[in-house]
Amino acid sequence: MKTGGLLDDLSARALEFRWLRETLTPASAYGDRVFERCVPFVRGEEGQAAARARRIAAIASALNRETLDAMREIFRNVPDAASAIARASMGDVLSDANLLELQRFFDACIRFNTLAYGVDALPETATEAIVECSRRLELGRAGKFGFYLADGFDSTLGGARAALAQAQAEYDAVRGRTTAEVARQLGREVEGNEFVVMRSDLNGALPAGVRVVREAPTYLLCEIEETDSTLAALERRDALATAAAGAEQTVRGALTDAVRSQAAALNAAAEAFGDADVLVAAARFAQTNDCTVAHIVPNATLRFSDGCFIPLALELEKEGRRFTKISIAIDDVAVLTGPNMGGKSVCLRTCGFIAVCAAFGLPVPASDATVALFSEIAWLGVGAEDEPGGLLSSFAREVVRLRDVLERDRRPLFVLLDEFARTTTPREGKALLVAVLKRLQSMGARGLSATHLAGVAASAGVRHFAVRGLRGIPERPATSDLHQALETLAASMDYTIEEVTDESATRSDAIALAALLGLDTQVVADAYDAME
Amino acid sequence: MHVDVGDSILRLALATGARSLVVVGTGKNVGKTVAMRAIYRAALAQGIAPGLTSIGRDGEAIDVGDSQTKPRLFLRAGTSLATARDVLPATPASEILELSRLQTAAGSLVYARVRSDAYYELVGPPTASGLRESIDTLLHHTNYAIVDGAIDRIAALAGGSDAVVVSCGASASSTMEEAVADVRALVARLCVPRFDGTEPAIHIEGALTPSRIAELIREREERAIVVRDPTQIALTGRAALHALERLRIRCEREIRVVAVTVASIGRDRTFEPRLFAHAVAEATGVPTFDVYASERAA
Repeated sequence: MKTGGLLDDLSARALEFRWLRETLTPASAYGDRVFERCVPFVRGEEGQAAARARRIAAIASALNRETLDAMREIFRNVPDAASAIARASMGDVLSDANLLELQRFFDACIRFNTLAYGVDALPETATEAIVECSRRLELGRAGKFGFYLADGFDSTLGGARAALAQAQAEYDAVRGRTTAEVARQLGREVEGNEFVVMRSDLNGALPAGVRVVREAPTYLLCEIEETDSTLAALERRDALATAAAGAEQTVRGALTDAVRSQAAALNAAAEAFGDADVLVAAARFAQTNDCTVAHIVPNATLRFSDGCFIPLALELEKEGRRFTKISIAIDDVAVLTGPNMGGKSVCLRTCGFIAVCAAFGLPVPASDATVALFSEIAWLGVGAEDEPGGLLSSFAREVVRLRDVLERDRRPLFVLLDEFARTTTPREGKALLVAVLKRLQSMGARGLSATHLAGVAASAGVRHFAVRGLRGIPERPATSDLHQALETLAASMDYTIEEVTDESATRSDAIALAALLGLDTQVVADAYDAME
Repeated sequence: MHVDVGDSILRLALATGARSLVVVGTGKNVGKTVAMRAIYRAALAQGIAPGLTSIGRDGEAIDVGDSQTKPRLFLRAGTSLATARDVLPATPASEILELSRLQTAAGSLVYARVRSDAYYELVGPPTASGLRESIDTLLHHTNYAIVDGAIDRIAALAGGSDAVVVSCGASASSTMEEAVADVRALVARLCVPRFDGTEPAIHIEGALTPSRIAELIREREERAIVVRDPTQIALTGRAALHALERLRIRCEREIRVVAVTVASIGRDRTFEPRLFAHAVAEATGVPTFDVYASERAA
């Protein structure tokens, strides 16, 4: 799954694209290959994007979590047979391990198909070729997961193996008799090809059939000689081993031919299997996060109700807190103001995340959404400044990134500005931001700019959204426990976003927040005094 | 004293209750594979169809490290093995039991069962976790696992409850004294006693490194130094012996060294077999066997 030109690295980081990719990562090598080719849909492909999202949603609604997990387990455990199919199609004779890979792949395709029965949105994996090749290998099934080139594959195989086993037994017997006789005469065990005889243990000559390999003052290094009879037995065994090897290779050749003749169909089945893996991962994502199919439209817009930035929602869930769903409609460029910790950045991230999901043809985390396929989603400002700075200040880095985005001029462009120009003087920062918003408007871009600067929306002539903010001044917790402070804040904060016309909506509640977070009470009091 | 070496070692190993046995060595060509083969034969004679694997590469006809001939493993029908798929002989066909994602020096690992007697090469996983996984999998298919170890892979014993056989030989050292000192140090390191929990102790996370050991010796540390298992002691040879003499090193998980084997015949030198075996037995205090002479050291 690649971002293509949709996101640059910093925007991808701000919008947790990595989390999304990991969540959607398939479980099999087949899925990996398909997933690797996943790129965002582009303008003009609205129909395909919507169709894919509908397909994923249909799978998520048709199958329960247990079935999706069972499918995932199939994908996780299947070996990759792609190389075996390729080798067969190029004329190689497949090894037994290759044949087992294929058998397990065929089994997985058939099992998956059974689980997917009745779900039209999933591809057919138990194709005719799969079933036919599986049938050809069936005789080799050994145990639960194994494969053996069984005698039944060919009428000559069993005979050749039996003859070899007989010859081996004869050789073992001849060789064993010689070794046993040597051991008897030496009065000890003889282990392996080479053995040591201590001179002090010898009463006379070495037994017949023993050859000295090396002499030392106190011992002799010896080995058992091959006799005429052992050599003859060895020769017979080797000849029969060659015959058995030939018979086995003939069987492998025939099985390989069966695979080769179906190679194209098997490759198609492997592709469908990989596609199914990717779709199942996406369906699990959609099901887990109550996603819905967005209306993918050609005109540049982003509207959604009850949207959720899932990575943050999961983080909050771990803390026993809840994500407050967001609803917003962006048909042009707009400004978002509100208090610190009021969810402005989260709103921006939710917008970006939903736009990214839609671009990849995924159901989106919202109860209802209308989304365009943007050519670029650019994040500028807080959260994007942690790249190595070099000689540039954080302001300079922001400006350079903005310059690049404007130069690329990918249309339709969706820009998320999180407190852009916050590190320069408010006067110049505001002027710059107003100018940028005007330029974006003139480019036909869509976007949202979160800021604490007052009067930006009016000066730029754009819409103004605001977070409602604190319902009152929250009680400072008795202890300095940060977790408790955040809970108090969450309980006091109204995260609702609404369109406003009154510039007084640009409030930050910063002093109240500082007090809540445990800042020295005198400093807080002085701050309120200074405000007067 | 003439004995059936393989049988004697196997009995010692089985007496520990361990379901796996690992042969490790003080160096290359010290008779690990010969010892393993003797134990394997003894297992077959007792009606055990064992599973075999190695730490890294072993059992090949030619040593890939120094191009010398090596003892091969002739495996009997019914034996299971974990080896790299690229070295599994195509013929006679083996029963492929399972495919693994573990990687070895010669491709991914496969579990197989010998259907027709043949020579095999063992190329197992090189890592401790890989070895543990392969032993566990082999034990699904068989009752007993035997592992051909490697000189530089003592760490692969970590986390296991195997019986261990240490092989030493003339190939790995210039003199008999050096060979004896090396095996004494290795056995002493592997046989570090279990921490009984009753005395003051410093618990070491991870490896007990030479610099940490030197620091503890300098500080004349008298508390027990507790490592997870003896493989965490990152010292060899005389330095290990010195550390073990000066510090009370203990472990949470013991390694059970059941026997030592000696190979008095090296490629460049030989030691007097009985003298060597006797010296090793005395230095290690562990039952010592000469596989080539079929003797147990007196």
